[in-house]
Amino acid sequence: MAQAAQSLNPSPPLRHDHSVKRHTGLMDWITTVDHKKIAILYLWAGGLFFGIGGLEAILIRIQLIKPMNTFLDAQTFNELITMHGTTMIFLGVMPVIFALMNAVIPLQIGARDVAFPFLNALGFWTFLFGGVLLNLSWIMGGAPDAGWTSYTPLSTTQYSGTHGVDFYTIGLQIAGLGTLIGGINFLATIITMRAPGMSFMRMPMFVWASFITSAIILFAFPAITVGLVLLTFDRILEANFFDTSAGGNSVLWQHIFWIFGHPEVYILILPAFGIISEVIPTFARKRLFGYSSMVFATILIAFLGFMVWAHHMFTTGLGPVANALFSVSTMLIAVPTGIKIFNWLFTMWGGQVRFTTPNLFAVGFIPTFTMGGVTGVMLASAPADFQFHDTYFVVAHFHYVIVGGLVLGLFAGLHYWWPKMFGRMLNETLGKWTFWTFIIGFHLTFFVQHFLGLMGMQRRVFTYLPNQQFDLLNLISTIGAGLMGVGMLIFLTNIFLTSRKPADAPDDPWEDGRTLEWTISSPPPEYNFKQTPLVRGLDAFWKEKTSGHKTMTPAEPVGPIHMPSATILPFLMSVGIFIAGLGFMFSRDDFGNAFMGFMFNNYLVTAIGLVITFGSMLLRSLYDDHGWHIGPEELEGR
Amino acid sequence: MTTAHAEGAAGNLPHEPEKATLEGRNKVLAFWLFLGGESVLFGTLFATFLALRNQTNEGPSANELFHLPLVAAATFLLLVSSLTSVFAIQAMHRGKVAVLRNWLLVTVFLGLCFLVLEIYEFSVYVRHEEFGMTTSAFSSAFYTLVGFHGAHVAFGILWISVLIGQLARKGLTVVTAPKIYVSAMYWHFIDVVWVFIFTVVYLLGKVG
Amino acid sequence: MATEQHPASNGPVKHRHRQEGPQRHIVVFVFSVVLTLIAFAAVAAGGVNATFAVILLLVMAVLQVFLQMGFWMHLKDKGHLLPIIFMLGGFFIAGTCIVMALYWVWWD
Repeated sequence: MAQAAQSLNPSPPLRHDHSVKRHTGLMDWITTVDHKKIAILYLWAGGLFFGIGGLEAILIRIQLIKPMNTFLDAQTFNELITMHGTTMIFLGVMPVIFALMNAVIPLQIGARDVAFPFLNALGFWTFLFGGVLLNLSWIMGGAPDAGWTSYTPLSTTQYSGTHGVDFYTIGLQIAGLGTLIGGINFLATIITMRAPGMSFMRMPMFVWASFITSAIILFAFPAITVGLVLLTFDRILEANFFDTSAGGNSVLWQHIFWIFGHPEVYILILPAFGIISEVIPTFARKRLFGYSSMVFATILIAFLGFMVWAHHMFTTGLGPVANALFSVSTMLIAVPTGIKIFNWLFTMWGGQVRFTTPNLFAVGFIPTFTMGGVTGVMLASAPADFQFHDTYFVVAHFHYVIVGGLVLGLFAGLHYWWPKMFGRMLNETLGKWTFWTFIIGFHLTFFVQHFLGLMGMQRRVFTYLPNQQFDLLNLISTIGAGLMGVGMLIFLTNIFLTSRKPADAPDDPWEDGRTLEWTISSPPPEYNFKQTPLVRGLDAFWKEKTSGHKTMTPAEPVGPIHMPSATILPFLMSVGIFIAGLGFMFSRDDFGNAFMGFMFNNYLVTAIGLVITFGSMLLRSLYDDHGWHIGPEELEGR
Repeated sequence: MTTAHAEGAAGNLPHEPEKATLEGRNKVLAFWLFLGGESVLFGTLFATFLALRNQTNEGPSANELFHLPLVAAATFLLLVSSLTSVFAIQAMHRGKVAVLRNWLLVTVFLGLCFLVLEIYEFSVYVRHEEFGMTTSAFSSAFYTLVGFHGAHVAFGILWISVLIGQLARKGLTVVTAPKIYVSAMYWHFIDVVWVFIFTVVYLLGKVG
Repeated sequence: MATEQHPASNGPVKHRHRQEGPQRHIVVFVFSVVLTLIAFAAVAAGGVNATFAVILLLVMAVLQVFLQMGFWMHLKDKGHLLPIIFMLGGFFIAGTCIVMALYWVWWD
């Protein structure tokens, strides 16, 4: 926005130098619209949910450490596996992805903020309140217990009588709204906010990956929105979508869920591909091998990602034609993914590879993710899938791609961009300890699960009988899970120790930075770029470095920078949706209390929530945000 | 943004004021993206309806239920309102604020008429045909699909009404113009969805 | 394509002021009405072969949607490549859902 203003008027007089009301402390975080602060909010919130999901995983593994264990009962186990999956995917890793996208994308494209700072904040707060709502289920009558896929009829009121699944449908609905808003925002940002000279084919690979990811979000999330609405209506309004006794169809839920669910796993993995494609060239001191084939492969993966959903349903009984079609399309995805794997290997080939912590994670990612990919091709074979389905083989497969792929990628990205986000380098020694404990723990946990699955151990069952040769492998798996937990603790220690050090990271702390984020201070000033840089090629900063320049050529003179105002409205809107969701969920309950019954059964609570949300929206529309300016004097003063 | 209210106050707007600022262009682009997502949303609802269209659970079927004259009237109302919102945008491009406001008012009025017809239709089904949300899978799918569209119409009416108010208070500026343009896009999209609803739900329901 | 331009060069683009009149939109409107009438008439008349009716109705609907999105939503104008790509993407996924609903939900 500031860029356009300046191009319209090379040196506009400060026509409205609105006074700035700067908030401090908690108010600052609640009202911020700065993408760098929102990134940190996403990171802490995502980290919190990731921790919850991790604890749930540890509890699951403790229950399975020996046969016929009584540590947990079956109901608690069902709730734990449901919440572990749901929390990790929607509330753990996706926000951390959004944290990195928020922290890095505007910097990498040379922009001063995202296209819609207000929506950016709104996306965060709706995600957070959705996540809080979902996790409130633990203390409000029982968590969802129908698995993260929430298959009907298991998830209907007949078989899941508590409010657990309602928390799932409405919590995810609200969190999903935030994700969709974020996706649209990043698409618009990447399309319109790039610095002069940065054509689409000069964008860093992480930006490309985020762009494609956002497009998948845009097309996949509406499907789950509808699916969740239908399930909510079935459970609360007694509709009959999935009720076979009234003509409904439970296979329909599976289709809708996986039309969203399969693209969702590409929403998870593509940003990791992007991170790896940034980290490996930096630490190999070589440009990314096959940049354009990487772009092409990413687009192809996104397209194919929508065409394969029914491979989750081979055993549902779609018939041989559908099974064959989806089998072939699934195997096809191995081709663009293979292109990527080889491109990373060829990037390192002949490079001056430095094994810093981020690069260790990136290099560890490649074989680990490839193993997950290979079992994916095995699962794509429909006849073989009849054997693998619902066994620990599947559990091993998707943990190899999600933990061995995405989580290692996120670790690489967090270590890599930590100095840019916080101005402090994470400790390298502790970082390497994190890597080794985590990756060894990971393989201990999940490698053996392949064999458990092939031997016939079913997933989602809370215990198993002795003398099936499951005992030792399960023990190993649990020990591995503990080791992964240790790795996480080392990482948290690293963060804590680093936070007590002075923020003295240099602009280009890895010294071989290739992209625009390394041309500005760590952490960047709130306007990011004093002058918008001129991009002369792919890897813009590296290009300048090889031409003997230390800085970027500016594309504009120093002028006043227009900034959006902080606002509490996104927070209030999300609070409103949260209240409305809770109100709707309990609208059919008998409270045994006249006032509560009156408020909930007449949808008054829902109405209050919606009034808050739409009222805030109206305020936003009625009162224009004029923003404020940072004058050239202040810019030069730094 | 800097130029935003300055230019608006001066009163010499560019030909397409909705695209005069980066923020305006961002808004229009992002709204297109949103409509891409909305297409999937309605696509999934249509898919659900198509899957469950014959599951009447011994309740009324589409053929027994629908009356074409009512649907034709609703269709005509929405189609005309789409045309009037085109006229509104044309007036905006010419900078004629009063004409713009009048066409927006007509659009809102036609939208209201549509909504009244739909509510009447639903109430007839519920009261006289014993066809409610819980009757059958077909009824659930019908009310959800058509109701979602109706909710979109209702939101559009509120939205455009708020914009008419803003137009009166703030005038046509490079801040209000993108809002009006985007609301017109939304309104056309609602009409596009309705084309599929009257075809797939009502007409094909009659054909059987 | 306007969106392809770099932000700094995105100044006040000099639009050629071609003031389009209402005639074209009225033509689109008339076409839409005719297409709608054909669809309703085919059903109201009855006795039309069911398969033929399905094809006819869908063709009428798609034609009308193309007209309205092209002219009324300006997708035919310059600078709309990205909107077209994303709308087509949305329609494509929507179509995929509908194929799913028609062929893979019920066992037959």
